[in-house]
Amino acid sequence: MEKVNVTIDGRTFEAVKDKCVLEVAHENGIYIPSLCYNSEVTSSGGSCRVCLVEAHQGGRMRLVTACNYPVRKGLEVKTDTPLVRRIRRGVLELLMARVPDSEVIREMAAAEGLTEVRFREDTGENERYKCIACALCTNVCAEVVGVYAISMINRGADKKPATPYLKPSDVCIGCGACAYACPTGAITLKEKDGVRRIWGKDFPMVRCSVCGTPYIPEAQVDWIVKRTGKDRSFFDKCPDHR
Amino acid sequence: MAPIDSIGGLEAYRRKLAEAAEAKADMPTVLVCFGTGCQANGAGPVAEAFRKVIDEQGLKLDVNLGIKTTGCHGYCENGPLVAIRPQDILYLKVKPEDVPEIVEETIKGGRTVERLVYRDKATDEVVARYSEIPFYKHQHRIALRHIGSIDPTDIDDYILAGGYAGLAKALAMDPEEIVSEVERSGLRGRGGAGFPAGTKWRSCLAVESDVRYVLCNGDEGDPGAFMDRSIMEGDPHSVIEGMIIGAFALGSHQGYIYVRDEYPLAVKNLSIALEAAREKGLLGENILGSGFSFDIKISRGGGAFVCGESSALMRSVAGEVGEPRAKYIRSVEKGLYDKPTVLNNVETWANVPEIILKGADWYASMGTEGSKGTKVFSLVGKVNNTGLVEVPMGISIRELVENIGGGVLGGKKFKAVQTGGPSGGCIPERLADLPIDFDSLTEAGSMMGSGGIIVMDEETCMVDVARYFTNFLVDESCGKCTPCRDGLPRILDLLTDITEGRGGEEHVALLEELCDLLTWGALCGLGTSAANPVLSTIKYFRDEYDAHIRDKKCPAGVCKALITYSIDPEACTGCRLCAKNCPQECITGKRKEAHVIDTSKCIKCGVCKDVCTFDAVRIS
Repeated sequence: MEKVNVTIDGRTFEAVKDKCVLEVAHENGIYIPSLCYNSEVTSSGGSCRVCLVEAHQGGRMRLVTACNYPVRKGLEVKTDTPLVRRIRRGVLELLMARVPDSEVIREMAAAEGLTEVRFREDTGENERYKCIACALCTNVCAEVVGVYAISMINRGADKKPATPYLKPSDVCIGCGACAYACPTGAITLKEKDGVRRIWGKDFPMVRCSVCGTPYIPEAQVDWIVKRTGKDRSFFDKCPDHR
Repeated sequence: MAPIDSIGGLEAYRRKLAEAAEAKADMPTVLVCFGTGCQANGAGPVAEAFRKVIDEQGLKLDVNLGIKTTGCHGYCENGPLVAIRPQDILYLKVKPEDVPEIVEETIKGGRTVERLVYRDKATDEVVARYSEIPFYKHQHRIALRHIGSIDPTDIDDYILAGGYAGLAKALAMDPEEIVSEVERSGLRGRGGAGFPAGTKWRSCLAVESDVRYVLCNGDEGDPGAFMDRSIMEGDPHSVIEGMIIGAFALGSHQGYIYVRDEYPLAVKNLSIALEAAREKGLLGENILGSGFSFDIKISRGGGAFVCGESSALMRSVAGEVGEPRAKYIRSVEKGLYDKPTVLNNVETWANVPEIILKGADWYASMGTEGSKGTKVFSLVGKVNNTGLVEVPMGISIRELVENIGGGVLGGKKFKAVQTGGPSGGCIPERLADLPIDFDSLTEAGSMMGSGGIIVMDEETCMVDVARYFTNFLVDESCGKCTPCRDGLPRILDLLTDITEGRGGEEHVALLEELCDLLTWGALCGLGTSAANPVLSTIKYFRDEYDAHIRDKKCPAGVCKALITYSIDPEACTGCRLCAKNCPQECITGKRKEAHVIDTSKCIKCGVCKDVCTFDAVRIS
């Protein structure tokens, strides 16, 4: 792998060419806030704009999203300039106005010294109460899980993830990857009496034959068996008792 | 007929068409505009009426008359347009019942029907000759070179007019030479950003790949802009020829024309043209026997404004949701299906054949230092002559509005022009001597965009204009990135507050802050330019913002919450016209006595002002 030298906030690091700025920064202990990016999901990133940093290259400066800007030779990144702080605060203020009840956003904003919103706050319909429409959930579902149970619908401020026609999905396996990946905890996943409820659909769970804990939806087992050819009996026990 | 299999064969075919045309040169020809505008105004029945009269009288008259249905002449406001050759007469607003008179007087008698020709609103001067009408006299048509004079569904018409000669010349050139020619011509992308076309081609050529794509952006979405539609409808072969030349230079074998589905006539005429070009051996396998193969598919878009953005367009062509992506890796490297791709706008492609045929020096001799050639503008709004005009770059806004546009409608005061569509900005009258080119418009806080020019008069409220365009962008934002998705609705909130009298001193500062956030923080061109309408109106018309905020007044008399209607008793003659038309029935007064508006019931619809013939209705 080709290595290049990249400078972040005055310190120079050797990094793999085309790796994203955010990861190179985090590997070297430089914090850049981010929401919509997950290093395991190549289609993620670029939408929340929280990780905007200054990229100086070829005599030109641009604000770029650190989560998908590739490091190349001679790149100099600044993560803490007045411009970066100003735009980051602006983005966070908009997000706070969108999802006033999200603790994650409030904390991230507080770290930038932002506690008050000067705009109309969204009252929010219940389902997008904390959703920042970053599409990480749909990207995870499509790219990592591979079932395409949810996708982004509508556009503009009404954009949100949903199952087709807002009906319980035929293909959802109830794995909950969307909920685990969501940066703001906007997707409700509830479990009760051995049944998981997500996206308006109930998924009976397999109980561990040792401890009796319901730990995986049956539909998810079906999917894994179908996709990998793994023996179904493997899922009789939960990871703790295998 | 068999496909033409050599460059010489094309020239021989053209000579044959020319001889046939020569033989008919003296015969009168009636050209009925079949652009979307004229068709909507009733061009179909007019053409039908001509056919009928000719059928009925044809043999008896012994006049062999050709009727052509052409593309848009650009002077849409006055449609249906009918041009008569060889006299070079243009008749405006022709109705089917005018047809017998035109046939009798003009075609048979060689006389002009005066009531149907252009009459200058200011001087009352009558102009019959097509090329002498002020709207056309000042134009210089390259991209629109054939539109209105050829039948877009007949490839022979295009070939007879010199079509595909640029391709023939290009096929004998070295691809490298073609790219250099386009570079030297100074042609910049007509879609809006004005990126030099040659530079784009060169960087695509530099990327190693066995597959490359050539794309045409026909997703024209700016309200009021219709030059691309006109070209695709009226001269589709010019776009196709340009793309074939580009593909040959770049070594591409597949192209796509992305057209919005709201342009059914463009889709139809392009499809006919593609099929005809294939039949003639000008498209498909082994073009003109050169060994080079290239074909074009039409990709129909669903009409999302954002799909005019290059990366969203490519996703849409590939069948994905039309959302932009970060262009940190350029589409000349990784574009459609991750292959090197050159995307140019309709008008850009239409210029290419002429540039190759007549040379880079010819093209570069027109225009300004940084913006060469001509540009098509759609001139609309409060101006006498609206329509499509093509002029050399560098013409001033004032020349465009006054000489070609015939000045502001109704003799009102010229206030501003809005250029570049919803992401453009407003330029005040005092800067109207600014030359129109890519750089000067950007410098003034607006942009060329696709070439929409909306003329505004003293009765246009600039805060309301900013609110209107922001509202459009709120609807069209794809919602992918935070600044655009959540910032634009907040900007709209603030602007609405101001226009409804709730604006405070802090509103303008907040607007500027949000605009700054959009400009720096948004993902694609739609978002980064979305602040232009707001910023440019704040910059040039701050007094209007202040009037709304401090005095709670709308100087232009537009913002309903801030105005009241009243009747000037001195001017009112008591004719009852306003009272009869008032939907609220809130105007009272006896005949021949001054009337009064009950403002508690008035909904400020403005009907009374519109119908009053004595100018007695006042807005304050």
